[in-house]
Amino acid sequence: MADTDKALQELEDLFAAARSGRPAVPEHLNAAILADAARVQPGYQPAAPAQAARQPLWRQLTEALGGWPALGGLAAASAAGLWIGLAPPSFVPDPVALAGYEDSSTVFADGSYDMALMLSEDLQ
Amino acid sequence: MSATAEETSDDALLVLYANGDSRAAAVLTARLGPRVFGVAMRVMGIRAEAEDVTQEAMLRLWKMAPEWRPGEAQVSTWLYRVAMNLCIDRKRRARGGYVDLDAVPEPPDPGRSAAEQLQEGARQDALQAALMQLPERQRQAVVLRHLEELSNPEIAGIMDISTEAVESLTARGKRALAAALAGRREELGYSDG
Repeated sequence: MADTDKALQELEDLFAAARSGRPAVPEHLNAAILADAARVQPGYQPAAPAQAARQPLWRQLTEALGGWPALGGLAAASAAGLWIGLAPPSFVPDPVALAGYEDSSTVFADGSYDMALMLSEDLQ
Repeated sequence: MSATAEETSDDALLVLYANGDSRAAAVLTARLGPRVFGVAMRVMGIRAEAEDVTQEAMLRLWKMAPEWRPGEAQVSTWLYRVAMNLCIDRKRRARGGYVDLDAVPEPPDPGRSAAEQLQEGARQDALQAALMQLPERQRQAVVLRHLEELSNPEIAGIMDISTEAVESLTARGKRALAAALAGRREELGYSDG
């Protein structure tokens, strides 16, 4: 056992000595390696800068408006406007009246008046 | 390339080379050439063969550069693997080759006497001769583990085997080397004390 340990220790010492004496690459080999590198390299083209991928229309529009936060604000404002238009709060004047239109029932006293009949009379 | 080329990773240097940077090849050669050459010398045992293996392995590196995907593997691991396969191919083609003991340099040590240096040279020759007696895969594993000081997982990647197989190869290789050298202890100047 002791002999084996001693033999392995001597082997470790030999490994250590071998590691410290790594052979130098001969000059002619270095030159040959670099000549190969220079010969192979011209076949390579420098990598082209990555072309920006064409973006779909919806993404271009989103970005033109200011991105997702702006789009969110726009959607909220639109929803609020629609809601106010459909069910205006009591303190807001009726937009239909403000525009100068009147309820159709006030125009035609006779609710049963037939538009087709009126038109046919006009044509006669 | 910037002035800190020596700090640039092998990965980045290879990409620079593929993009036409002329200095990248010189830095990679200075960094990786000695490692490949050292391993090839130990595994092949013949200087001329080791030189051919080194040049061919580096040539394959240059040719592979445009397809290299940084971060997926280490350049040195890839290169060791190519070199080891080239060694195996050459060994298969030239069964029964001789061992060129002069191919393995003696560790320089100016502090030692001429006699000590001769003895150390004889020991290194004996180590190389013993290495050449090992089966091919054992020799590769021992050289990569004990002379290149690579980790077992890295050697497993190079040799395309499991870590356990690497451990087994190196353990058997070391035992065989110790046994081969045991018969030459006196000749190599090892005392029994």
